[in-house]
Amino acid sequence: MKLLQRALGPATLVTLLGTFIMGMWVTPKATMLDGGGDLVRMLYVHPAVAWVALYVSFGTTTVASALYLWRRTRSVVMDRIAYCAMEVSALFIFLTLVTGSIWGRPAWGVWWAWDARLTSTAILGVFVLGYLALRRANGDPEARARRSAVFGILIALDIPIIHFAVVWWKTLHQSATVLNSTGNVLVHGSMLWTLLLSFVAFTLLFVWLLRFRYRLEVMRETSQQSRRDVAVAARQREGA
Amino acid sequence: MVDDKSIDDLSPVTPPAVANRSRRRSIGVIVVLIAIVGVLLSQGLLHSLNYFETVDQALAHKASLGSSTIRLEGVVAPGTIKRTNQGAQFYITGSKHHRVFVNAVGTPPELFQANIPVVVVGHFANAAAMTFQSNQIMVKHSASYIAAHPSRVRAPNGTTR
Repeated sequence: MKLLQRALGPATLVTLLGTFIMGMWVTPKATMLDGGGDLVRMLYVHPAVAWVALYVSFGTTTVASALYLWRRTRSVVMDRIAYCAMEVSALFIFLTLVTGSIWGRPAWGVWWAWDARLTSTAILGVFVLGYLALRRANGDPEARARRSAVFGILIALDIPIIHFAVVWWKTLHQSATVLNSTGNVLVHGSMLWTLLLSFVAFTLLFVWLLRFRYRLEVMRETSQQSRRDVAVAARQREGA
Repeated sequence: MVDDKSIDDLSPVTPPAVANRSRRRSIGVIVVLIAIVGVLLSQGLLHSLNYFETVDQALAHKASLGSSTIRLEGVVAPGTIKRTNQGAQFYITGSKHHRVFVNAVGTPPELFQANIPVVVVGHFANAAAMTFQSNQIMVKHSASYIAAHPSRVRAPNGTTR
């Protein structure tokens, strides 16, 4: 386990570096009609970031929230994982919208469009901010954890809407390149391999960030508890 | 040390101001977030669950469209693009080979070319007109990515597949 933990950082760095090198210099540019020339290089950033934001990070929060609400697996660890994963999710949702915008401007001709996918993703971002605001409310930690877990599961209902928006409605955003309803993969060769490598790289980045955020959260709680203990002891000395 | 007299006093204690302030702040945050979501929904999902109409759909109920602003989607017909001082003129086709002539004002996006799906924002001059006046062209990029190959055959209109 310690070996895996030690290898996480270097593995993340290596895969990210590999994605960058492959994406910038090894993979070919696309035809203007199917890829937009050099614009195709955004393919190795935006989809992977969106994958982490919507499925990996948010999925972690949803599962941890469900495990917290289930009595058999309820623990402060699950609550911490849900909260920390949601913070990382906020970062990746922001990056999804930014990288999408950067790609959309030259590809579509606009920075933003109010189509179903983009709008539902923006709504998810607002919901995530709401979750984080809820976590900052003072009060009983168990009640806060329960509220957050319920909210975290409810807002996950937006994920299938985002995913299927390009199928259910006519959108400016294109449909899936790999996991689409026809089963045809619409990218091949080194471009496909680099795309898959980018998914691995950003997933590892999420795990790495989550690990550090979790450790920070444990340290914060420990520090808070220590301060509380010191204050209680001081009060008791006053009363004695 | 606890005062003995205070033990007998069991009257309710008002919660400290800090807890009340925190509760009000949480409610305030939730109200703001609901308002933001409401704005997003009104801008996005409610008005445009379908972001555009296809050429076939628009022509099917053209009379009801009149001169209202819509987003029209079609594929740029090869050999029809003509760059003008204001923008470009071209035909877009639907799946049933219906065609609409588009007179667009403004610089087309970088990927604008023949055989590419586009979404044009604008309006027909009136219910009978067949020219679509557009003030914005958006390229609806496909989900496929094909590597450019130097020896690939180039079509007369300049595109390669």
